Amino acid sequence: MKLLSKSTYYFLLLSILTMIVGGALLYFTIKSIIYRKIDNSLITEKTIIQNQIEQIDTIPDFDATFGHQIEVKFLNYPLRNFQSIKDTDIYDSRSNSFLPYRYMFFSGNTISKKGYIITIFQVSSEKRELLRNINLYMFFLFFSLLLISILINFPIARRLWRPFYILVSRATKFDIQSDKPLDLPFTDINEFRQLNKVFDQMAHKMRNDYLNLKEFSENEAHEIKTPLAVIRSKTDLLMQQKNLNKESISLIKSINEATTRLFKLTHGLLLISNIENQSIHEKKKVSLKQIIENSLDNYKEIMQLKKIKVEMEAMDEALVEMNEVLAGVLISNLLSNAVRFNVDGGFIKCHVDDRYLIFTNSGLPMTIDPEILFRRFHKASDNPQSVGLGLSIVKKIVDSYGMLITYTCRDTIHEIKLHYRLNGDS
Amino acid sequence: MKLLIIEDDRSLCRSINDYLKMEGHICEVAQTLHQAIYKAEDNIYDCVILDIGLPDGSGLDIIREMKSNKLAGGILIISAKSSLENKLTGLKIGADDYLTKPFHFAELSARINSICRKNNFLGMTEIIFNEIRINTNDNQVYVNDKLLNLTKKEYDLLLFFMANRNIIITKESIVEHLWGDDVILTDSFDFVYTHVKNLRKKIIASDGRNYIKCVYGFGYKFSDS
Repeated sequence: MKLLSKSTYYFLLLSILTMIVGGALLYFTIKSIIYRKIDNSLITEKTIIQNQIEQIDTIPDFDATFGHQIEVKFLNYPLRNFQSIKDTDIYDSRSNSFLPYRYMFFSGNTISKKGYIITIFQVSSEKRELLRNINLYMFFLFFSLLLISILINFPIARRLWRPFYILVSRATKFDIQSDKPLDLPFTDINEFRQLNKVFDQMAHKMRNDYLNLKEFSENEAHEIKTPLAVIRSKTDLLMQQKNLNKESISLIKSINEATTRLFKLTHGLLLISNIENQSIHEKKKVSLKQIIENSLDNYKEIMQLKKIKVEMEAMDEALVEMNEVLAGVLISNLLSNAVRFNVDGGFIKCHVDDRYLIFTNSGLPMTIDPEILFRRFHKASDNPQSVGLGLSIVKKIVDSYGMLITYTCRDTIHEIKLHYRLNGDS
Repeated sequence: MKLLIIEDDRSLCRSINDYLKMEGHICEVAQTLHQAIYKAEDNIYDCVILDIGLPDGSGLDIIREMKSNKLAGGILIISAKSSLENKLTGLKIGADDYLTKPFHFAELSARINSICRKNNFLGMTEIIFNEIRINTNDNQVYVNDKLLNLTKKEYDLLLFFMANRNIIITKESIVEHLWGDDVILTDSFDFVYTHVKNLRKKIIASDGRNYIKCVYGFGYKFSDS
C-alpha cells in the first residue's frame, strides 16, 4: 500500500469515527435543548392554567388562549397532584398523516375539591424538522470539510514526500559500475536531507570499495601473468633437455599442469572483470547465426568423434547489438558446454529467432539445480582441466547486456535459453 | 631468422632468447624502450617480439617509431594485458599479431613463423620438409607430390609441428593452438591424440615417413632423426 493512500485511509477512518461520535453527541444535545424548550413552554402553560383554576375555579377557554389542543377531564373526587411529559403521534386528518406531538398531562383539584386531569398537546414536528435540518447541515458541512481536506492533503503530502520518492527511484537505478552520482535534489526537510546525505555517502563508499576491489583483482591477475610466463617458459626449456629420467618428467608434467590451471583461472577471472568495463567495448549488430556457425566449425571434429548430431535452425536476420568478441565468447562457451557434457551419439540443437537463442543437448541427468552452474567455481565435473568459470562468464556477459538466461534439465535433455530481446519492439 | 626480443622481465627475456636460439634463430635482446628503439633503428630484423609494458614507456611507441621510419620486419606483441582494446590498438597501429602471457614457446614459434611467412612475399609460400611440401597460399599439403586431404585442424596441427621441428611440444600447447584460450575442453587430450593419429596415418598413407613421435609424459616431437 502506498504511503499516501495509507495515511489517507487512516485519516478517513478516524474522521468517520469522529463524525459518528460527534454527530451523535450533537444530535442528542440539540434534541435535549429543543425538548427542554417545549417542556418549558408546557410547564408555563400548566402554571397559567393552574392559576386560572385557582382564581376563578373554572377551566378557561384554552383553545382561544393557546391556539392548540387541550383536553380537560373533570372528576367528582379529589386527586393527587401529578404531572408527566411524553411523546406521541396523533393522526391529522388534514394532512392525512400522523404528526409528532409532545404532550403533558397533569392533575390537580379545584377549590371545590373536584379533581381534574388536563392534557396539553404541542406539535413538535417543526422542532423535529429543525433538528433534522441541523443534523443534515452538519453532516453536509462535515463531508465537505473531509473532502476538501483530502483534496488539499493529497498534493501537500505528495509535495512533502517528493524528495523521498526521488531518492527511491535514484537508488533503484544506482549502478555501482558507472561513476554517475546519485544526484539527489536539495530539500529543506531535515529528515530527508539527512537521508539523502546517508545515501550519498553510502553510494560513494560502495563505489570506492568496488573500484578498489576491481583494481586489486585486475592488477593481481596482470602481475601474476609475467611470473606465470616465466614458469611456463622454464618448463618448456626444461622439457627439451635430453636424458630426463621418469621422475623429472613427471615433476615437469605436474608443474606444467598446475601452470595451465593457474593461467586458465586468471584468464577467466580477468575476462569476467573485463566484461564489466562495458563502456570500452565497441558494440555493433552481430549475426548470431554467423557466430554459431563459426563456433560449430571449431568443434566439428570433436563432434564427429563423439558422434554428436547437430541440428540448426536459425533466422538470418537475428541480429543482436553487442560486442563481437564477447558474442563469440558467449556462443563458444555455450557450445563447448553442450559438447563437453554430451554423451556419445547424442545431439545438439540450436534454435535462433528474433528473440530467443536456445541450445538443447542430450547429456546425463542432473542431480543439482542447473542454475547453480552459473555461479563461479561451480563445477559439474571433477576434471582438473575445468576451472568452473565457463557458465559464469556466460552469465556475466548476459547480465551486462541486460539479457536473461535460464538453464533447465529434464532427464537427459538439457536446455539453455537465452532471451536476448526482452522488449520485442526494438 | 634475425629477431629482436624486447622484454623487461630479465628471466623471461633470457628464456625466450634461449629457446629461439635453440630453434636456430639469431636473437638480440632489449630490456628498455630506449635500448629497443636504438636497436630497431640500427638493424634489420625479420621479426620484433615486443612486450608493451616497459619500465620507461609503452611498447606501442616502438611500433609507431618503426612504422614512421618505414622499418621492415614483423611485429609480435607479447603482453600480460589481454583486454580487447589493447589488442586492437596494437594491431591497428601496425603490429602483426598479439600473444597473451603466459604463452607456450611452441605457440610463440608458430606465430613468429607465420608472421615471417606473411612478410616475405617471394618464394616463401612453400614450406618444404623432406617429402612434405606445404603451400601456405592455398593451404594444400603434398607428400611425395601427392595431395593430402586434411581437415582444417589437421592442417593447423601440421603447420604447428612444422614451426616447432625437433622440439618437444606439449598436448596443452596443441589444445591452446587449435582451439584458443577461451575454450575449455574436458576430453581435449583425447582429441589431440585423435588428430595426431589421423594426421600421421594420412602422411604414411602417401608413403611419407612417420615424423610425429610420442614423447613420454609430455606430448609430441616432430623430427626426422
